[in-house]
Amino acid sequence: MAAIVSRPSRISPLRRRRALAGYLFVLPWIISLLVFTAYPVLASFYFSLTDYTVIEAPRWVGLENYRSLSSTDPSFWISVYNSAYYALIAVPVGLIVSLGLALLLNMQAKGIGLYRTLFYLPALAPPVAGTIIFIIMFNSQGGLVNQVLELVGLSGVGWFTDPKWAKLGLIILSLWGVGVGTLVFLAGLKEIPQSLLEAAGIDGANTWQRFRHITLPLLTPVTLFNLVMGVIGSFQVFTSAFVIGGTTGRPLESTLMYMVLIYRHAFRYFKMGYASALAVLLFLAILIVTVTIFRTARLWVFQEDEEQAA
Amino acid sequence: MAQIAETRVKNTANTVAMRSTKRTSWRKPLMNLLRHLVLIVVSIAFVFPFYWMVITALKENTRVFTYPIEWWPDPIRWDNFSTAINYTGFPFWQFLRNSVYYSLSVTIGTVISCAAVGYGFARLRFPGRDLLFILTLATLMIPGIVTFIPTFVLFRQLGMLGTYSPLILPAFLGNAFYIFMMRQFFQGLPVELEDAARVDGAGELRTFWQIMLPLVRPALLVMAVFTFLGAWHDFFSPLVYLSERDQYPLSLGLFAFRSQRTTEYSLMMAASTLTTLPLIILFFFAQRYFLDGIKLTGIKG
Amino acid sequence: MNDDKNLKARSTLSRRAFLQFASAGAGLTLLAACAAPGGQPASGGSESGAATTDTVSLSFWTPGGSQVYCQGFGTIAANYKELNPNITIEEAQCGTGEQNFNEVLLARVAAGNPPDATIIWTSPAAFGARNALVELDELMAGSQYSQKDAWPEGVLASCIFNGKTYGLPVAAGTYAMFYNEELFEAKGISSKREDFPKTWDELRALSKEFTVWNGDTLESVGFIPWDEDQYTLPIWSALNGTQLYDAETQKYLLDDAGNLEMMEYALAWLDEEYQGDITKVNTAGNWSAGTDGEGRPPAFQEGRMAMMTGGFWLCGDMYAVEPTFERWNVAPFPVGPNGSETVSGYWPNWLVVPKGSSNPEEAFKYLDYMSAEGIKVWFANVPDLPTNKNVSTDLFPTLMAEKRGEEVAREVTDFFRGQLDIATPMWNSPVQDFANDQIGRILEQIYTKTAAPAAALAEAQQACQAELDSLLQQNA
Repeated sequence: MAAIVSRPSRISPLRRRRALAGYLFVLPWIISLLVFTAYPVLASFYFSLTDYTVIEAPRWVGLENYRSLSSTDPSFWISVYNSAYYALIAVPVGLIVSLGLALLLNMQAKGIGLYRTLFYLPALAPPVAGTIIFIIMFNSQGGLVNQVLELVGLSGVGWFTDPKWAKLGLIILSLWGVGVGTLVFLAGLKEIPQSLLEAAGIDGANTWQRFRHITLPLLTPVTLFNLVMGVIGSFQVFTSAFVIGGTTGRPLESTLMYMVLIYRHAFRYFKMGYASALAVLLFLAILIVTVTIFRTARLWVFQEDEEQAA
Repeated sequence: MAQIAETRVKNTANTVAMRSTKRTSWRKPLMNLLRHLVLIVVSIAFVFPFYWMVITALKENTRVFTYPIEWWPDPIRWDNFSTAINYTGFPFWQFLRNSVYYSLSVTIGTVISCAAVGYGFARLRFPGRDLLFILTLATLMIPGIVTFIPTFVLFRQLGMLGTYSPLILPAFLGNAFYIFMMRQFFQGLPVELEDAARVDGAGELRTFWQIMLPLVRPALLVMAVFTFLGAWHDFFSPLVYLSERDQYPLSLGLFAFRSQRTTEYSLMMAASTLTTLPLIILFFFAQRYFLDGIKLTGIKG
Repeated sequence: MNDDKNLKARSTLSRRAFLQFASAGAGLTLLAACAAPGGQPASGGSESGAATTDTVSLSFWTPGGSQVYCQGFGTIAANYKELNPNITIEEAQCGTGEQNFNEVLLARVAAGNPPDATIIWTSPAAFGARNALVELDELMAGSQYSQKDAWPEGVLASCIFNGKTYGLPVAAGTYAMFYNEELFEAKGISSKREDFPKTWDELRALSKEFTVWNGDTLESVGFIPWDEDQYTLPIWSALNGTQLYDAETQKYLLDDAGNLEMMEYALAWLDEEYQGDITKVNTAGNWSAGTDGEGRPPAFQEGRMAMMTGGFWLCGDMYAVEPTFERWNVAPFPVGPNGSETVSGYWPNWLVVPKGSSNPEEAFKYLDYMSAEGIKVWFANVPDLPTNKNVSTDLFPTLMAEKRGEEVAREVTDFFRGQLDIATPMWNSPVQDFANDQIGRILEQIYTKTAAPAAALAEAQQACQAELDSLLQQNA
């Protein structure tokens, strides 16, 4: 074998072996995963080019669904607006809140385990019961949230009965589910070597500097995860919006999320073809945002590449 | 870095020492108090829905929606719990068994597959890796309600309707969400460890199994806990694929308390509390065991 | 480095051992997955139920319901078995009662193993127009109880598309005006049914007597026009001499003169009596018949609302929250300026036979039985008003009899039964759910004055008609 690279020849067989091992680890899983997940996804792409009641076989219509995307349902644009509004606010707020909570929970305080369990209680309750409870809490009359607001001198708000506040109510509701994000951040925090932080402390760095220059950068891989999952999740918010706003997004379509639109066309109006076209559009939107995030990730995410180390 | 630290320490040791004693005398206990205060306030906000669930479970059904709101049940109906367990359409122990079976199987499958695949994506280089990863991620971007019909038909062709197979088998093939998560965690690990292992002559499998995996134990725990949680609360997949009431998990069983026009709120909340209890116990011990007392020595020098 | 030593010191796990362990673990769990709860794959309708000379087995679904309601189907099935020993109806599959039912049903239809017979909560006209259901006309003609004339015309209309019948409206709670007799009497107004307002103008004048404002807060209410409810709107439209949808011509009439008048009438009423602000009205109370999403008790039972629209089920549901008064009564709907006679409406439960049912003839016979006989068991558990004329007229809700006495219960039930005969056709559009959502949407806009009635109705008209036309085009 000609040594065309200046590296020691020891690396080449190593790299081959590592590549093979990579395949061994991943390929069997990936092939079967793609078969099981890719097939339904591809089927959805196909359905978007058909008229499909689900009852009968799909009937080819080409790009008709896409052409009439915004005209078939008068509520199309408002659902796009609602979902964008929701995502734009819920994602950053969710990130900040879960990071803050993770930092709080990372403290070595007495009984921290108890606090951790308490923080996760709402996530542990069954969603069916949970949503009922949240609606009660946000009751515009005597609900807890309004009572607390009045306690601090602000006036209560209509929440889910007021179109101006309904989306905000949904966003706050989503915060009760920061469980995964917080735990992910917490696990990430646990992985930061104590020695690093201690050394910096000895160097004279204060808490904020340690956070800014050590913790935050080392957290960026999991931040990337939470960010991308936050985007994917918030674009697809459904259950809370559906339970609170129903199929028409009460009040005044303020809670009509894009996913509810997809749902009602798929299962209420017997238009799975159109619903699939809506879903494909959503997919493209999420894909573009995600790829953009990954592209910029090289700039801010801490990644130890094997190449560099070698 | 250690060298620099040493020099600095020599130069500033005294000043630092003086400053720190002045600082910590009154500052530390105050910070502690503040921390606890914040924790308590946030806890209240988070605990409240759960508190409401429990007190509703203890109320009489006609007193659930009083106006103004009752913050404490009166009278306290402890028997709501026994009524819920013995409710005819809600064989609690059977449902509990099914829930445990379902959640445990899904968790095992997910942890095994996602750890392995996530590692492959993070650390092992092979052609097409990044494309494959994007494809895996892309499957998360199509909403389930649209893909659910073809998936259902697929499982029907495989003759798996009426069993838990369609719910459990896919878990062993990996879950894009957790594959992504594990990849991120593995990427955050220092490469030196891996190289050290390789220099030692450890094969890929051993590197993974003995070195890398134990280091992401917190992440494995997160994955395990939330997979378990997700499966415990999942009612839609069981609804679609199971056909006999005996097979139902608790999540589906809860609907027994809902009828066409009314809901037995207090009984449903009692059943919900019972459904949540195992999770709380599991969660408390899991997080205590794994998240506390982890000390990473890191790399020296 | 320290790690070297650690590495060597650890017990080695050979690659083979790991693979063996992993595959064994995976294999075991997979085996368990196949063998565990309810191991036998359910065959659904298609495999079982082949018509042999021996037993026929049929599956039956219902979208949801209470404990007692679901178990009632077991009783009905058992009774049926006694009469037909070779037919077995499997245990009724009771859904969650949520919208999920459509998803499950459609999935099963797509996969080719739907239930042999089922109750549905979506219009059979909609399902039938898409070829999901077996046509029942011939089966009905040759049946024991279910000939066409055994059903009230207006109610059966909900099952018909393009002249073919796709379902049996086994139970349909009819609507009427409920009013608080004691509140009337306290004001010296006659509380007799025959004296109840017969026109919209009379109703509006009477409502003013009961509506009381305390500054900006509404304390009590006479009647809120059309309740901002899309499910009863077809009734008010018919009362004004028109319809929302004409099944004969398959045309929507949302923006015609009568419907526009109906909405403008409501707005004028709102302005005059309710300060033109529906939000203030909704914040002030729960003006419906059940506990609302905010947990507030219903105003009618609290004695704060004198009159409201209600369905037959309210005779029992009235007592879910104990009323502060004892005597209430029901009356026919008043007629609008453009209308000529009173009508009623209904909310049905439909029995259908999905296409792909393993034995449509036997399945239909069961539905036929249920329409006339089985419904009695159903009614005893959940008082849904039977519509078939072959059902004994002896039925009345037991809860109501307990509270008001048997005579009153019988009389009121007879009244509701009478309403069946004057029921206006509803639920009969193949794009029913789409239309309901559109109408619900514009109702909100009109009542909150974010859109003018004419414009809103025109928009909904355009959308609904377009949706209907595209469906009809495909069917052509």
